[in-house]
Amino acid sequence: MSALGGAAAGGEGLNMTGTIVGIVIILVSLGATYMLGASLIVPLIGIIVGGALIGFGVHFVPVGGAPAAMGQAPGIATGVAMLAAGAGLAGLFGGAWAFEATGDFLISILGGAIGGGLMMAITCLMVNATYVFAMGIPAASGKVARDPITGDSFPEYKSQGTEGHGLPFISFVGGVIGGTIAGLGGTLIYIELLEAYQTGLATLMQAEPEVIAPLAVSLAGIFAIGFFLVNAVLAAYNITGTIEGPHDPKFKRVPRAVIGCAVASAFCGLISLLLVMNIGM
Amino acid sequence: MEEIVLGIGITALAGALATVAGAAEDTESDIGSQGDPNSQVQLAPQMGYIHRIFNKAVSGEPPAYGLWCAIGAGVAWAFLQLNYNPALAIILGSIVAVFIQGIYCTSGYLGRTASLAKFKQPVYIDIIKSLTSVTMAHAFVAIFCTTAMCYLMATALHHPFALPLLGLIWGIALGAAGSATGNPFYGKERQYQTQKFGAGVPISASGNIVRYAEAGQRSSLDNGWFTTKFAGPASGICFGLIVFLELWRTVLFEKMVAGWGAVIAGVILILIFTFIDRWIEKWGRRTYGPYTEAEEASS
Repeated sequence: MSALGGAAAGGEGLNMTGTIVGIVIILVSLGATYMLGASLIVPLIGIIVGGALIGFGVHFVPVGGAPAAMGQAPGIATGVAMLAAGAGLAGLFGGAWAFEATGDFLISILGGAIGGGLMMAITCLMVNATYVFAMGIPAASGKVARDPITGDSFPEYKSQGTEGHGLPFISFVGGVIGGTIAGLGGTLIYIELLEAYQTGLATLMQAEPEVIAPLAVSLAGIFAIGFFLVNAVLAAYNITGTIEGPHDPKFKRVPRAVIGCAVASAFCGLISLLLVMNIGM
Repeated sequence: MEEIVLGIGITALAGALATVAGAAEDTESDIGSQGDPNSQVQLAPQMGYIHRIFNKAVSGEPPAYGLWCAIGAGVAWAFLQLNYNPALAIILGSIVAVFIQGIYCTSGYLGRTASLAKFKQPVYIDIIKSLTSVTMAHAFVAIFCTTAMCYLMATALHHPFALPLLGLIWGIALGAAGSATGNPFYGKERQYQTQKFGAGVPISASGNIVRYAEAGQRSSLDNGWFTTKFAGPASGICFGLIVFLELWRTVLFEKMVAGWGAVIAGVILILIFTFIDRWIEKWGRRTYGPYTEAEEASS
């Protein structure tokens, strides 16, 4: 029951009608892409997978929002979408750089993933350093009695009138995994867009791919950031406020976010690829 | 070899710029009350606690700094295209960005505070006059350092992204690092200074922020003075480490192990930070001890 007496909104299961509508949108987007430029179907699938990965990864990131800033709830004291975007974009920076230097697909997406994971590892470490060294508050989860990884007991370390505080080890690990998956998804989207734009824009403008490269890189970068924000915000809506990490009961909502992000990415992917569609590719 | 040495030098300089940017960003957000703790500044008058704290949460810190750094880097890029000296171009870009930040601050304070009129919270004109320029000064340092760092990445390290795009990415990362590290210190340690040290703020105390200083009412300048003792430098270290290590692992190791060097170095760094974090977590529990007995808590 909500405070207003109505039924609590937002369950953990999948809404079948919504899921079917979503799958139809994905199929229509794929079909439209195939009709307008058959070679762009692979980049669009990459974008859909990347978007779903971002939505999945965001759920791992322990975000406490405003209550965490007062030591009232565990997690990092900032917004879900923005923290995930910060980590994922740091990953995108590394992935794009690696792709420029090596041109290897696997190294680049893993480079992006590690970039996101490293950003989250440093951030989570500094959050714990602040709680422990500056505020004298030990880490305690409010959602589980014991840490699923280390077996540490939490209830006795939870101060009175709070839901826990700081970042228990499971939340730290969740943050690193979340940053890694989000960085991987963002870099995957960037590389797929870049390859589509490099060949597409060269055909469209009748120029050499080398001449078109700066424009393709910038466009792919801007669109990749846009995709990142779309998917991170969608995942944040699914989380509704705060989440402690993979051990939080809210984590069970993740299939909904994966489908939602895949649908949004499919449609946004179609829009972003329209630029180079129907030009005889 | 020369290229690597130059790369390491640029990496160190970018890391130093990022450290200053992180510290300035957090101090700006604490003086201006931009981050999540501002929820309490907004809540206080609704609970009957009238205060003189600046209240300008324009948006979350990451999108706000993403915007300001992208504007700074974008304007600097435009001046660079006109063959301006890079230092002058970055300064001019930062000045334009900081004026936009000032406009957001002013409208943010007026709008947010005016919305509290029914709770008798006055709009203090002297707060706008005295504090907006202080937040602008700190924001200038943060934007200038971030834009300069992005310029180094784009020109000396040859990152493929254009300067404005780098400004957007690192602005968002700057806000994320600064708000994650700095917010708890400002929110718990400063706003709720009267609550017990070493414990979270009980939810029942929400809104009852500290409103008085040694003499007279507390000003947001006092909050900046306090948070520069820990939150500012910690945020600086956080963002500095992120930038430095991200560049360092790429510049030094990218060409090793058939291109896998940077990935392997990143994994090793993550493992090192994981061990340090675990040590800090255990040290905290061991040093401060439990609040209640384990049996009592589990009953």
